[in-house]
Amino acid sequence: MTQRISKYQRFKMMNPILQFFKFIYLSIKIMIVVAGGHGGTRKVD
Amino acid sequence: MSKIVVLGAGISGHVAASHLRRKLSKEHEVVVVSPNSNYQWIPSNIWVGIGRMKSKQVLFPLAPLYKKKGITYKQAKAITFHPEGDAKESKPYVLSEYVFGDKKGTTEKITYDYLINATGPKLNFEATEGLIPGENKVYSVCTYGHAEHAWEGLNAVIQKLKSGEKAKILIGTGHGKATCQGAAFEYILNVEQELRRHDVRDNAEITWISNEYHLGDFGMDGMLMSYHGMTMKSSEMVEMIFEDRGIKWILGAGVNKIEDGIAHYENLDGEFKNETYDFAMLIPAFSGHGFKAYDKNNNDITEKLFKGFMIVDADYSSKPYEEWTVQDWPETYQNPNYKNIFAPGIAFAPPHAISQPRQSKNGTAISPSPPRTGMPSGITAKLVADNIIDSIKSGKESLHHKGSLGNMGAACIASAGYGMTQGSGVSITTYPIVPDYKKYPKTQGRQLGKTFGEIGLAGHWLKLALHYAFIYKAKMRPFWWLIPE
Ligand SMILES: Cc1cc2nc3c(=O)[nH]c(=O)nc-3n(C[C@H](O)[C@H](O)[C@H](O)COP(=O)(O)OP(=O)(O)OC[C@H]3O[C@@H](n4cnc5c(N)ncnc54)[C@H](O)[C@@H]3O)c2cc1C
Repeated sequence: MTQRISKYQRFKMMNPILQFFKFIYLSIKIMIVVAGGHGGTRKVD
Repeated sequence: MSKIVVLGAGISGHVAASHLRRKLSKEHEVVVVSPNSNYQWIPSNIWVGIGRMKSKQVLFPLAPLYKKKGITYKQAKAITFHPEGDAKESKPYVLSEYVFGDKKGTTEKITYDYLINATGPKLNFEATEGLIPGENKVYSVCTYGHAEHAWEGLNAVIQKLKSGEKAKILIGTGHGKATCQGAAFEYILNVEQELRRHDVRDNAEITWISNEYHLGDFGMDGMLMSYHGMTMKSSEMVEMIFEDRGIKWILGAGVNKIEDGIAHYENLDGEFKNETYDFAMLIPAFSGHGFKAYDKNNNDITEKLFKGFMIVDADYSSKPYEEWTVQDWPETYQNPNYKNIFAPGIAFAPPHAISQPRQSKNGTAISPSPPRTGMPSGITAKLVADNIIDSIKSGKESLHHKGSLGNMGAACIASAGYGMTQGSGVSITTYPIVPDYKKYPKTQGRQLGKTFGEIGLAGHWLKLALHYAFIYKAKMRPFWWLIPE
């Protein structure tokens, strides 16, 4: 096992308070990507 | 009055049926034909496969819901397609065979005005000799039944490890052309975390085996993504996670035969090798269901409807990887020969792969087939339903709703371990799903910012929140339609 994720990084990844804000941030960011819409690619006009 | 028949009640079939029913008045009939009496939220099968969720938490019976909502449900499987009817039946129909109840074994010509083929993939275990879920110590998590079985197998290994024995665990793809690497990726990380939870991690060797050329290819040609303000390749991110978790990997492997505890594979160098294991979970190849189609004179017209999966408005002309474009990908999922037939979700035939195709020195194809995950399956089903609704309401064909995988984003929240405080998830979004190398030439075909990755506890909460939200939506509870696909 090689420690590729530092202890500090892991602390940030697993800290419930920090991760709560991350949860809100990710939810919004994902909504933007997902609700950002979709469409065709073969526009001829 | 129109009759819309939906084949399949997976993510895409159920999404299409529920939107059709909500938006069409009761004079129009919505019929769902599906052999499985339950709706299953497949993404959570990963947690069933590690014993952290029970099957009943990921499924619910369809019949009571459909009865309540005014959707006709036939627990049957489609067998043959007759888009022109036949000598006796003037309307187009699908010959279907009931699989349950009094009518079990009997067939019915189910006529339609519009047909949505949402039958997803056939889990083609037969394509790999010896790859039989639950036999030869190899398992699958592709259905809740398989996942339950996988947990039994994994639990037996955990007990063995607890008694001090060593064990080898192999997880990945079970065929040179398999797809759905993301599901296997989730499973390997969940298994690894469970072994740590049971304090037996040190006794186990865990190996990833995959037909991908690079780690993190996921059948999507890999990704260049934003990660903590840096630009990172998905291969680097997955390598970081695997190394950190002590997971080994074998890439470019086309598994071709399974014996009890031995996976045989060919690699891109043309070498034939094998890997032993005590527990394996390998995703099988996905294929079409092998449906046949006939015209009104009973002539075989299968090639007008199927190319393995169903033919839609894609560009199927064969061209080299360098000439692939996003324009090859379908926009409306309409069959070009029979305009009242559509195929969203996994049921449509993709024009080609997304990942660069590769062959071994012996000419064996070893590279991922294109994945079609839950979100695009839901989005394509909804746009098909919307076009049918518009066509019915306006009395003429309407194809305003479009959604190419080359102009659509997707979120993939890969579980990396279960637990409210110890869980983890790798949250990845990608835009577009199919890389547009012309539009985004410097960032591997994707828009940075909209293509990003995150690792941490929030990912687990997100995946769990999605589990509850999508089951709520599928149960068509109040305001279900506000939850996006
Ligand atoms: C283990 C696993 C984990 C996954 N995790 C994720 C994830 O985290 N996120 C994500 O976005 N995607 C995920 N996916 C992918 C996702 O599950 C699929 O994209 C999605 O299920 C495809 O939906 P579908 O409706 O096209 O096909 P399916 O869900 O396969 O549905 C097909 C339906 O057709 C029915 N059917 C089959 N044969 C017939 C017939 N002859 N006649 C009538 N009906 C028939 C079946 O019973 C079923 O109801 C995962 C997949 C797996 C296997």
